[in-house]
Amino acid sequence: MQKRYLFRMLLLFVFFGRMTAADAQGFTATGTIKEAGTGNPLAGVSVTIKGTKQVTTTDASGTFSIKPTGRTAVLVLNYVGYKTTEIAVSADRPTVTVSMEEDISPLKEVVITGLASSIKRSNLANAVTTVSARDLTGTTQIQTTDGALYGKVPGANIRMNSGAPGGGINIQLRGLSSLTQASAPLIVLDGVYISNDFQRTGRASVTGAGAASQDDGANRLADINPADIESIEVLKGPSAAAMYGTRANAGVLVINTRKGAAGKTTVSFAQDIGMATPLKLMGVDNWSEAKINSFFPVARRPIELTRYQNAVASGTFIDYEDYFYGNTATLLNTRLSVRGGDEKTKFFLSGSMTDEGGTVRRTGFERQSIRANIDHKLTKDITLSIGSNYTRTNTDRGFTGNQNNSGASIGYNISYVPNYFDLRPVGGVYPANPYFAENPVAVTDKGINNSVVNRFIQSFGLDVNLLRTERSQLKFKVNGGLDFFQNSTKVYLPDDLQFQRAQANPGDVLVGRQQTMNTNFQAAMVYNWELKKISMTTQAGMVRLDFKNDGLFNRGRGLAPGQSNIKQATVQEVEAQFENSQRDVGIFLQQEANYEDKIIGTVGIRWDKSNTNGDPNKYYAFPKASLAINLTNFDFWKSRTITQLKPRVAYGQTAGPVPFGATFTSLGGVNIGGLLGSTVAVNVGNLNIRPERAQEIEFGLDAGFFNNKLMLEATYYIKTTKDNLQPLNLSPATGVATTLSNEAEMRNNGIELALSGTVLQKENIKWTSRLMWWKNDVKITRLGIPSYTAGAFGTGLGTFLYQQGIAPTTIVGTPAISPGVFTVWGNAQPDWTSSWSNNITFLKNFDLNFLMEYRSGGDNVNLTSFLTDGGGTTKGWFDDDNKDGIPNGRQRNPAPYNNAGRWVQDATFLKVREIGLYYTVPKGFLSKTFGRVIQRAKVGLSGNNVFLKTKYVGYDPETSTFGAQAVANNVDVAPYPTARRLFFHLQIDF
Amino acid sequence: MKKLQILLIASVAAFQFSCNPLEVKELVDPNNPSEASVLNNASRSQIQFLVTGLEQRHKGYVTNVSQAWNTFGREVWYLNGSDPRFQTDWLGQAGRVPDAAYFGFGATGGGSYATPYQCIKQGYVLIDAAQNSAALTAQEKSAVAGFAKTIMAYQFIIPANWQYENGIRTDIKDPLKPGGFRTYTAALGFIDSLLTAGYADLNAAGTTFPFTLTAGWNGFNNIDGLKRVNRAIAARVAIYRKDWNGALTALGNSFMNLTGILGAGPAHTFGAPPDGFNPLYYVPDASVNTIIVVHPSVLADATPNDARVAAKFHQRTTPVTITTDAAPLVGTHQDKRWASNTSPIPFIKNEELILIKAEAHAQLGQTTDAVNAINIIRTAANIGNYGGATTQAALIDEILYQRRYSLWAEPWGHRWIDARRYDRLNTIPTSYDQGTIFKQFPRPQAEINWDLYAGG
Repeated sequence: MQKRYLFRMLLLFVFFGRMTAADAQGFTATGTIKEAGTGNPLAGVSVTIKGTKQVTTTDASGTFSIKPTGRTAVLVLNYVGYKTTEIAVSADRPTVTVSMEEDISPLKEVVITGLASSIKRSNLANAVTTVSARDLTGTTQIQTTDGALYGKVPGANIRMNSGAPGGGINIQLRGLSSLTQASAPLIVLDGVYISNDFQRTGRASVTGAGAASQDDGANRLADINPADIESIEVLKGPSAAAMYGTRANAGVLVINTRKGAAGKTTVSFAQDIGMATPLKLMGVDNWSEAKINSFFPVARRPIELTRYQNAVASGTFIDYEDYFYGNTATLLNTRLSVRGGDEKTKFFLSGSMTDEGGTVRRTGFERQSIRANIDHKLTKDITLSIGSNYTRTNTDRGFTGNQNNSGASIGYNISYVPNYFDLRPVGGVYPANPYFAENPVAVTDKGINNSVVNRFIQSFGLDVNLLRTERSQLKFKVNGGLDFFQNSTKVYLPDDLQFQRAQANPGDVLVGRQQTMNTNFQAAMVYNWELKKISMTTQAGMVRLDFKNDGLFNRGRGLAPGQSNIKQATVQEVEAQFENSQRDVGIFLQQEANYEDKIIGTVGIRWDKSNTNGDPNKYYAFPKASLAINLTNFDFWKSRTITQLKPRVAYGQTAGPVPFGATFTSLGGVNIGGLLGSTVAVNVGNLNIRPERAQEIEFGLDAGFFNNKLMLEATYYIKTTKDNLQPLNLSPATGVATTLSNEAEMRNNGIELALSGTVLQKENIKWTSRLMWWKNDVKITRLGIPSYTAGAFGTGLGTFLYQQGIAPTTIVGTPAISPGVFTVWGNAQPDWTSSWSNNITFLKNFDLNFLMEYRSGGDNVNLTSFLTDGGGTTKGWFDDDNKDGIPNGRQRNPAPYNNAGRWVQDATFLKVREIGLYYTVPKGFLSKTFGRVIQRAKVGLSGNNVFLKTKYVGYDPETSTFGAQAVANNVDVAPYPTARRLFFHLQIDF
Repeated sequence: MKKLQILLIASVAAFQFSCNPLEVKELVDPNNPSEASVLNNASRSQIQFLVTGLEQRHKGYVTNVSQAWNTFGREVWYLNGSDPRFQTDWLGQAGRVPDAAYFGFGATGGGSYATPYQCIKQGYVLIDAAQNSAALTAQEKSAVAGFAKTIMAYQFIIPANWQYENGIRTDIKDPLKPGGFRTYTAALGFIDSLLTAGYADLNAAGTTFPFTLTAGWNGFNNIDGLKRVNRAIAARVAIYRKDWNGALTALGNSFMNLTGILGAGPAHTFGAPPDGFNPLYYVPDASVNTIIVVHPSVLADATPNDARVAAKFHQRTTPVTITTDAAPLVGTHQDKRWASNTSPIPFIKNEELILIKAEAHAQLGQTTDAVNAINIIRTAANIGNYGGATTQAALIDEILYQRRYSLWAEPWGHRWIDARRYDRLNTIPTSYDQGTIFKQFPRPQAEINWDLYAGG
């Protein structure tokens, strides 16, 4: 109640009206601001009279006008991406022309620290990574936004679940915050809390793989066009993300899309044409009569030998890996954007079309997106901004990964098919596969695994200046929006497939409709004032979030020939139906104090409640505090070598939400013999369940050398979690299985280092480089329940051990050391990761960029090898390294050869993530040839995932058959191979 | 413009005060009723839903027990081309022996342990709901309790047989305070008394069962029929307890009919969705690599012209071969018992009761009665009357042999349990698969963990 009272007081305060500063005597200064080098006018530059709050901006032609009070004044020019410039004006010399230089050091950029305020990077107390549009999409084209973050964020462990088109990526920031949830960051796009769910497709059900986690689905960030993004701020842990409260345990990605700009309207057109080929194939094994006699049982040998001899006679041996995966796919992207406006209204419009094929036939990803971002000043003091985005994605991911019995997975299936047997159709007839339950060629040619998402994201913001004096300013900010999408999925295996023909009801189709509606609203007051020499920013506000998700899945089996409508099925079934909803509300307060950019401190607190918690009306508090000291801004600092030195410390708390349904003890609906039954659920609701909590303290040092040409950012953090959600397994004899508990606690600590600078700067060449290194160690400090193993496929094939004092990513398996205690075989967590990015500009018009990433350590559970060994198709299967007469494929190290350790493999790798070479056509040539129509033209070549070096046996050391998981996200089961993507680019600005 | 500004602020402020944006409503499960809703004065239809729910839970064990236990007793092989562990681990190849979280059973014991206990839990909730309902008469409450206890007793036998000497919990009503583990003998004693209590309830339940049962209970869906099923289960428990006279007494009140159809008995119901398909049905000669096949020793040991062989085993046109990293397995015959994927699966039948009678008489030295019972089975199987020795040992050999074919691959693992009852696990052949015959399973990890947790 008290908090609400305070809030009302604040609102009443606004009705007092407002005062304006009286004009005083002085003169009018005017001027034009241009870009150094090109001489183009710069619109939207902020011009401030130093020492006052008086400010204006330049118009479309780069001109401004401002009235200083005295006889002389110093104007401070600020523009994002350019070096802040000061220029003296006087009544005698009131008109100036200034050139502003581009600033490659990021210190001046603005970073969001509260929910309603921002701060200069040079004053920031956290290691917030900002990924600019140039970093994100400047080098090459990547299908999804999260895929474009690889190697660009120290502290981020990003894993691609498979190479299937359309995404499927898991980001973990600063290790694990949860044992049971995905431990994936919250995503806020232009103030809208957007869904990044992995929605069910049904592939795992139809192919028999199991639960929806094995669908190999895409995460819904795939719907966002990466080219619309201006920047992504990565709040990596609770100390930076505390103001986001309950959903920020795993960090926050704050995505800002492009805005309009005052000035001449620019029309930009870009076209990419590219191709995708597999990054790596494993190769398949050849067969011989000796191998057939060794591999097959006696009764089976004659037919196998005949098949082999026929293949030898006709010379028909088929490398199935190459046959299915070795295709070249076409990649097409078209983008058009229009950007412009005046002082009152600014707009950004964009449209894009992506049509990218997959390296497996009949797979691919299409996305069409349109966006309109409009900012309009209703009055001098009221700004309204809206952003509207409609996207449609159409994804065909094919059939790869895990399956059971159905044979509807290429990789699983061909693990068992020798290269002397021809599965290809003859005259439209697909031969039955005698080595597995299905002909994978037929599945590839006829099966459907499709998802179509129609999505609308709307954001709005309203900023009102309620009060402005020379020494203070009060703003009222409201923003929010909605994220609505519908996902139509269809998984179809037609009636004439081999496995389907062997079923009582041949033909299987699963049709899903899921609908998601998220809305959020935030209102805040921000008061800037001065306390002697200290600038103060006070903010208070509230947040409300609503999430709704409904779904209906229908299945038909026993289909009419060639039909996939459920009404054409013998057996028609409502396979699943659900409705979920959730509401969170929060209140926040934050106070920042800035002493002349020398000492910057912040304290804040947020209170949250949510109706998924055991007590829906209990507020949980999330405090934060931070301090940064810019030593170089003090007068005593004399060094010219060290031009920035900022020790910083930050602390904060956040939480992870309780999943929907944790409080319910329900009766399930079942049907038997035409009757409806109610069964007691095996999960017991916990009415005392609380959100999982994390707190983090982060220490850092930011240093700049040689006029900030060389910059170092070093951070050490300790993140501890408590009340971690984990299922408490009850005695199974009581007829119930689990209840969610708040027992576990974890600790992550890690180091993040980033060194960036200009390596070389000469007349014809400029080389900037950034080297990053990070590592994280996670440990369970308290489990609270008896240790257990979970995840992957059990102890025989490698699983994970949850036990106090060790990392939850610890992989254990057979042999058992003592009953219930298994051998430790590895750890999924990488030892450390490093990335190196470079930008080289040479001969004026050439740009070369490349980005490499090295991940050291981290083990996978490689069950693709398990399958190919079982089928005799692993390359070198019949070799016999130890000459004991047993082929390698039957005898993998370590001895005694039949334990889980043989599948746990080191996944260290080096990848060239991105490389691009661009040529900007000289202006003179353009104006001579096209007159003034074309402002800028650029052509280029680029590649994504062009090079992989690893000892790991498998298509890619990054893979996860279980999708996004906190822990078991490193299990390799016959995935879709990763693609190497090469592009030609054309970019024209009109 | 100042007016506009005030208007905006005022409307936002009005919104703030009119509908409280800080309010959150308590969540109620939008998809399911709550368990609490039936525990206090449930309606008749709610009790009916719980009765049907009990039938559903009652068949939960069928898939796992049929596939696994019948593999342990080498009645079948469950060939699985997608996961070699169904071969390597379940057959105990390369010396593998079960651990506390073995493949196919997990930390909770899965279909052989957790699932039957879920059925028992359902039974307790049903009994409580009926007890607390004003919509039911005392007689109807007895009928529900008698039915529930009969099913619960049946389900208790499954974990008891799977754990055997490791014992099971029998006091499990409070999910946070389960009782301790009791020996196999004590557990069987408890099960017998639960059956007796259920029988007493049914005796106080009049003649008509007041709720609808599925077609699997046709012929048994009145109080008299349920009492006969209760006694049939009691006879099965009695021979496990070596209570031979008790077995004969129970048989007397059961549905045993020496001249009736051998296959008569209550069954689990299956059907097309939203029901579940019969999990043991495979399309004849289907080109698949996952299928239950007849174990070669069952074919090799069969008596020529045994009608049961012709009725139960279908010789495939193409054998199923599974090549894993251990010994390859070839299945030549598949299960022929099910007409379709919606066929019901009997869970106790007249044929078993007659064999129980034979065994009890043989054990009590009543040779003639034993041979007469054996001959009913042999005649039906077209292999003529018994002509072998009539010593007790010879008769037991004969009865166990007939049980292999009469009760082949029922969802119970009869051969595994029978061989263990007579200490003959070593007679189960492993030469076809180089495997190991398990005696029992270790206590599931989840039980060990619970005791660690509850014990501090």
